[in-house]
Amino acid sequence: MIAAAAWVCLLAPLAAVLAIALGGNRLPRRAAGYLATGSTVVSFAAAVTALIATLGNSASQRQTVSTAFGLIETHAFKINLNLLVDPLALVMMLVVSGVGSLIIAYSIGYMKGESEQRRYFAYIAFFAFSMLLLVEAANFFVLLVGWGLVGLSSYLLIGFWQERPSAIAAAKKAFIINAVGDAAMALALFLLIQHAHTLDFGGVFGQAVSLGQNSWLINLVAAGLLVGAIAKSAQIPLHTWLPDAMEGPTPVSALIHAATMVTAGVYLIVRAHPLFEQAPHVQQTAAGLGAATLLATGAIALVQTDIKRVIAYSTMSQIGYMFLAAGIGAYSAAMFHLVTHAFFKALLFLAAGVVIHALGGEQDMRKMGGLRRRMPRTFIAMLIGTGALVGLPPLAGFFSKDAILATAVSNGVYGKVLFAAAIAGVLLTALYSFRLLFLVFSGDESELVKKSLPKRKRAEGPRWMTAPVAVLTLLAIGGGWMQVSGLWHPFSSFLEQVAPSFASEPSASREWLLSAVSLVVALGGVWIAWTVYAARTQQAPRAPRALVEKLYFDRTYDLLFYRPAVAVAHRLGSWFERPVIERSGEEIGFGALMGGRFAAAIQSGLARTYVLLVAAGVSVIVLLFLVLR
Amino acid sequence: MLTTALICLPLLGALSVFLLPGPRMWVGSLALFFSLAELALWVSSLIRFDFGSARIQFEQQHSWISDLGISYHVGLFGFSLWLVGLTVVVMTAAIAYGLWSGRERANAYYALMLLLLAAIVGVFTAQDLILFYVAYEAMMIPLYVLIGVWGGAGRLRATFKFVAYTMAGSLLMFATIVIYGLSHGFDLATAQQSGSVWLFLGFAAAFAVKAPLFPLHGWLADAYRESPPEVAALLSGVISKVAVFGFLRIALTQFPGPTHDLRSLMLALSAVGLVYGSLLAFRAPDIRGVVAYSSLAQMSLIGLGVFAQNELSLSGSVLQMVNHGLVSAALFLLAGVIELRTSTGALSRLGGMARGRPILASLIISIGVISLAVPGSNAFAGEFLILAGVFQQGWGWAIPGLVAMVLAAMYMLRLVSALLHREVGEAVTKKAPDVLLPELCVIGALLGCMLALSVWPAAISKHSFACLSQPPVTSAGISSQSKAQVGLACVPRAGSTTATTTGTAK
Repeated sequence: MIAAAAWVCLLAPLAAVLAIALGGNRLPRRAAGYLATGSTVVSFAAAVTALIATLGNSASQRQTVSTAFGLIETHAFKINLNLLVDPLALVMMLVVSGVGSLIIAYSIGYMKGESEQRRYFAYIAFFAFSMLLLVEAANFFVLLVGWGLVGLSSYLLIGFWQERPSAIAAAKKAFIINAVGDAAMALALFLLIQHAHTLDFGGVFGQAVSLGQNSWLINLVAAGLLVGAIAKSAQIPLHTWLPDAMEGPTPVSALIHAATMVTAGVYLIVRAHPLFEQAPHVQQTAAGLGAATLLATGAIALVQTDIKRVIAYSTMSQIGYMFLAAGIGAYSAAMFHLVTHAFFKALLFLAAGVVIHALGGEQDMRKMGGLRRRMPRTFIAMLIGTGALVGLPPLAGFFSKDAILATAVSNGVYGKVLFAAAIAGVLLTALYSFRLLFLVFSGDESELVKKSLPKRKRAEGPRWMTAPVAVLTLLAIGGGWMQVSGLWHPFSSFLEQVAPSFASEPSASREWLLSAVSLVVALGGVWIAWTVYAARTQQAPRAPRALVEKLYFDRTYDLLFYRPAVAVAHRLGSWFERPVIERSGEEIGFGALMGGRFAAAIQSGLARTYVLLVAAGVSVIVLLFLVLR
Repeated sequence: MLTTALICLPLLGALSVFLLPGPRMWVGSLALFFSLAELALWVSSLIRFDFGSARIQFEQQHSWISDLGISYHVGLFGFSLWLVGLTVVVMTAAIAYGLWSGRERANAYYALMLLLLAAIVGVFTAQDLILFYVAYEAMMIPLYVLIGVWGGAGRLRATFKFVAYTMAGSLLMFATIVIYGLSHGFDLATAQQSGSVWLFLGFAAAFAVKAPLFPLHGWLADAYRESPPEVAALLSGVISKVAVFGFLRIALTQFPGPTHDLRSLMLALSAVGLVYGSLLAFRAPDIRGVVAYSSLAQMSLIGLGVFAQNELSLSGSVLQMVNHGLVSAALFLLAGVIELRTSTGALSRLGGMARGRPILASLIISIGVISLAVPGSNAFAGEFLILAGVFQQGWGWAIPGLVAMVLAAMYMLRLVSALLHREVGEAVTKKAPDVLLPELCVIGALLGCMLALSVWPAAISKHSFACLSQPPVTSAGISSQSKAQVGLACVPRAGSTTATTTGTAK
């Protein structure tokens, strides 16, 4: 039952891809959207079925592995294509298929009129399949396959508008940085093959302690996985691709670059926690990178002018919180924030998409303003999403972010440092997100708004777009209530079997106290944003150059890696390949030609001469060999 | 009997195609019919093949020059069966493509193609060194003619270089075979192993030219650029595999000692070639240049797998040989499709071809990402197995492989974008049509094979070396014994139940 549901959940979107691809022009454009949406709804239903069936089992028996066939096999080694359904996988399956079907339904409205809708829906359904493969994998190889395929679908969708050079460049960048992560993960997998002789999660984690005896080994394995995780989740220092990825259509940014794919790194750390726990330094590095990312990207978000890029930097910053939590061992807190973040960040992107759609594709916030009156429902959705992001009660982010803050402060000196970063991040979050809200919605209507939204025109898009936004608004309001500190915690007890938290748990009273502190900080940030961007009683300070330059990461990488690679490749071609390798061939050819002329001269037409010459030639070589042997 | 039929059917085909009078279409159709019949024959041998057995199958032996112990001895092992399959599939695609693009002097052209097919099958099945050499030479002659007569503008220069390189290799190999055979015996199933480094090098140099391995690849770029697309597809897809087959069947099995002693050298050449080829592919100015140098990189990767010589890397190498054969053949045919429409392969004059050409775009993107070994593709499965095996041989050797994974993404995505994206290139006219049905059938069939292998790579990786189940294996993992001895055990020797462990210098 559970296994069948898992396969249905996985294969439904793939069936949609095949139907769209084989249907070609015969398939009406709208039908492609319905197929993709319908298939993810089927996936969601299957995931719910699997959830109910799993909840029927006792807590210790909530793991189902279903094996299809040997994917890669030699005689001594075998990797199966197998799926694992356990609480952790179920959480991810529900998020991917649930939020996924909402966002794909939204795209039916958003992509209307686009001539290549079929391609779009085929790609996005392929993404859903790949992501489900990633989260349902029962061994590291299948996980890596899903990992690579989500990267591929991300590449295809970022570059969906093929005629835009910036979109193509962004797509390539995303793929190549993720290829670095894939290679690092492959290295970890080779080590596991060599020392654990298996890649099955059960087998590897069962040997985690014995692998941990060799600290070099376990640190390398964990580091390899971590590099893969930070590449996929756009954490420092492999984060530079995500802002550029905003070149893709907005629903893609919502689904892939906010709600699901980019959180895969968090999932990986939680999934592989037995390995990370044996390599505490690596795990702490993950937490540290998360803290660095949440600060740096929060700061960069302050000076961005493109509405989608602000949200993108915000995504990195929020994933930084999840890394921080996973890095100190608070797995259920990390997953909880992953889930609520999927709700409110998808909401923010989709609401921003409504704005961009209404303004004819304009993404520059400086040209927006005063949209509150023209798009009241979108404004409310955006307000709720922003509130949830900042962590205002009773919205979703309040509960999940405070769980992370409270756990951090209860975990030693390192935890307190992380806590300080996290609380500073709360201030940044409040600043940049309310800056966005005020710039877009408050104040007077800008020229652009007046021009693109003549009076009385329905501005907020078709129902296909507004309905998913409404559902996500409800989720952003209520999603946090599934776990309230001190009152109930079904979420963490559900995950307890798979990922028992090893961080020391804060007391409920302490958690509520810290909530109050972070709330004050957040409100302070909102107040500053209000005075600067809404009331405009204060002048905004000039943006520091370092932030506008995105802390020089792109430039450094260009200088350190890309240009040297190009230069080396170029020099190899012009200094070595052509003059030495290719020319030497010509020399040989020339020699053969001379030899040929000589041969022509001795062509006497007498068979015995030939025989003699051949025999002489061969015997010279033979002699040479006998001597040299 | 079946093996002989596999060799003789295309020979018969070549003869009848050569003699058949009539229009070009008929001649080509007859050739296609013969290659399809060969395909059917191969499928029937695949069905009847016993993958559990370690012995030579469909074996046939007739005395030829009995004084010297030379015989007509043919048969198939698991891995050679797959290589024959690759040959037949790619050749069928190449003949179909040639038929579609209407080659001049059809009788000679198709007869040569079928002759080439027979010769390659002969190389993969020969169990006697002289027979191997005869088939090897018989394979080269049609190639020289096919490039020299039907090639592009610079064909003479390309042919010249190609002949110079390969003739040097062949002569060296012939001398080596004579010396080796006279002292150790010509029959591969019964010949004794040798410890001579020089004899090993004689074979290795010949195969390294053919593969090619760095730095013996001087002929590669010109030959791949100037051949007709379908011949380039054969050259990089199939002929290069002949060389690796030679390494596997002769160098590794008959020279275990020298292989062991020179392993570091061979691994180093492969590692350098892998990174070097990838870097050159990244700057190559035309489609075929990118594919040619990526072929050099891929062959070096396979070389790494062969010389790391453990069960993971060897199984991966066979898988990757088939993968790369399909991928590079498809890429060269695609290059032909594009050149037919734009009469250029220069990337600077191409671009923007995706608009209005969905099938072309889909084919280029799918084959491109398979070629860069995106996880989940058959190429990734092969690469993963190879590098996992190489990693166990010495972790340092796997690092160039991982670097090359990133470089492969860089050069393939550059190629894909240069063809499909950006603004429309000056050589691309509005009228240039999308991929037409015949082209789609040919390239789509190759893509179908790749996708099937992506879903089930174990079809090849598990069914290449039956003998590998015999060495003792501890628990579920890879035993330390299987690491060193695989090279001997993988190609079993008739008449001796236990493989000799060390090379015996004679």
